[in-house]
Amino acid sequence: MKKIVLACFAAALAATGAQAIDFGSIINKAIDTGRQLHEANRDLTQDEEIALGDGLAAGFLGAAPLRKDPQMQRYVNRVGKWLAMHSGRPDLPWTFGVVDTETVNAFALPGGTVLITYGLMRRLDSESELAGALAHEIAHVVRKHQLQAIQSDKSSQAWADLGKGLASDAIAQHGSDPVGLKNWGASAGVELLKNGVFLRPLDRSMEYEADKLGVVIAARSGYDPYGLVGVLEMLAQMKSDGSGLSVLDTHPAPADRLAQLEPFMPLVERDVSQPREVQGRFREIVGAP
Amino acid sequence: MIAPMRYRRLAALVLAAFAWAAFAAEQGFTNRATELKERGSADSPTLATLPENTPVNVIERGGAWTHVEAGGKPGWVRVFHLRFPAVVEASAASGSGFASLGSALGLGGKSDQARLATTGIRGLTSEDVKNASPDPQALALMQSFRADAPGAERFAREAKLAEAHVDDPAANPGDAR
Repeated sequence: MKKIVLACFAAALAATGAQAIDFGSIINKAIDTGRQLHEANRDLTQDEEIALGDGLAAGFLGAAPLRKDPQMQRYVNRVGKWLAMHSGRPDLPWTFGVVDTETVNAFALPGGTVLITYGLMRRLDSESELAGALAHEIAHVVRKHQLQAIQSDKSSQAWADLGKGLASDAIAQHGSDPVGLKNWGASAGVELLKNGVFLRPLDRSMEYEADKLGVVIAARSGYDPYGLVGVLEMLAQMKSDGSGLSVLDTHPAPADRLAQLEPFMPLVERDVSQPREVQGRFREIVGAP
Repeated sequence: MIAPMRYRRLAALVLAAFAWAAFAAEQGFTNRATELKERGSADSPTLATLPENTPVNVIERGGAWTHVEAGGKPGWVRVFHLRFPAVVEASAASGSGFASLGSALGLGGKSDQARLATTGIRGLTSEDVKNASPDPQALALMQSFRADAPGAERFAREAKLAEAHVDDPAANPGDAR
């Protein structure tokens, strides 16, 4: 592990010219901290979680740019924030972004960042369907599903990467910041994206849990709780393109998700009196079908 | 230059492709025996009982009931009583040109267009994401679009979104909210 870290940061170290600093000891300490996190199974603090999400988001945006449509970006943030205010973690710095790719999917990042692809946006039918998709992702963040997946990663590569993040932070404090994010958690996020740990599908049970909690969050926010069902109905008509990144690659089959939701919906519906689909302003932002 | 006969044949092929797409877009099947209702509610009159695997054309989706046409008869079926064959490649293709052509030809909803959009720019792959260089500026730009709570509340009021007290039936005891 030490060799990997040293190789990765050799260039950065050379660039600093700060040979007097004992980088070997900084890196060893960082790796020890990463290992301790793993062994102690310590939860990340909220600030660490947010920083990790920032790193993942910066990496993701390097592959899929933000869609150049400020009106759409603000719209998605308003829908998302309203939903998040009805979740178990309303006070995170919730951030929502539409990324410009035809891939059909949405991604939750630790700390409260949710990315939705334009490919999914333009296939939705109403604000309640958008709410259904976003609330599913918010539920992943609320339940810390991604963090659990990283922490249960058996390869220990994730922990090496957390160590790398720590090391790069230590280096940054001495005048160099290899990824320009000025934070170990962010650096660790970038590394986790690169090694693919973050792109692996979550457990099916986590997806079903996020579907159910997402429906609850949407219903609390005044949306038609069937928004997510509509999205799944639409997704059921799609097949994977083999990219590894479409919603069909990263989630259980829509028909299985619908089967899980069927007995659940009546339990939520009984508490909802005026659910709304909201189509007008959705169409103004996203365009005609 | 394409000879007139070949051109007509090509045009016929294109139209056939659109016709197939329009058909495929609307087509679902009942996944169990179910009732075709006059309106989207359980106490509405039953128009017909549809056996399992009855083909239906979807007119409109939304809510607990789906507006369909079955055997030439329009009506409403419970959303969970339908299944759909997977016919569209997820994540392929911008296909905006195909989509506007579809609209010009009078094809219906966006699911039709999604089906037409099977060529063109591909979506992301896992490798794209793994190999990307982080973009901290894009991150900062994205975060500049964040909404605050008062703004989100105003936005919700504009659409008359009414907050509801909904317990999470799947919650573990002690879960927040």
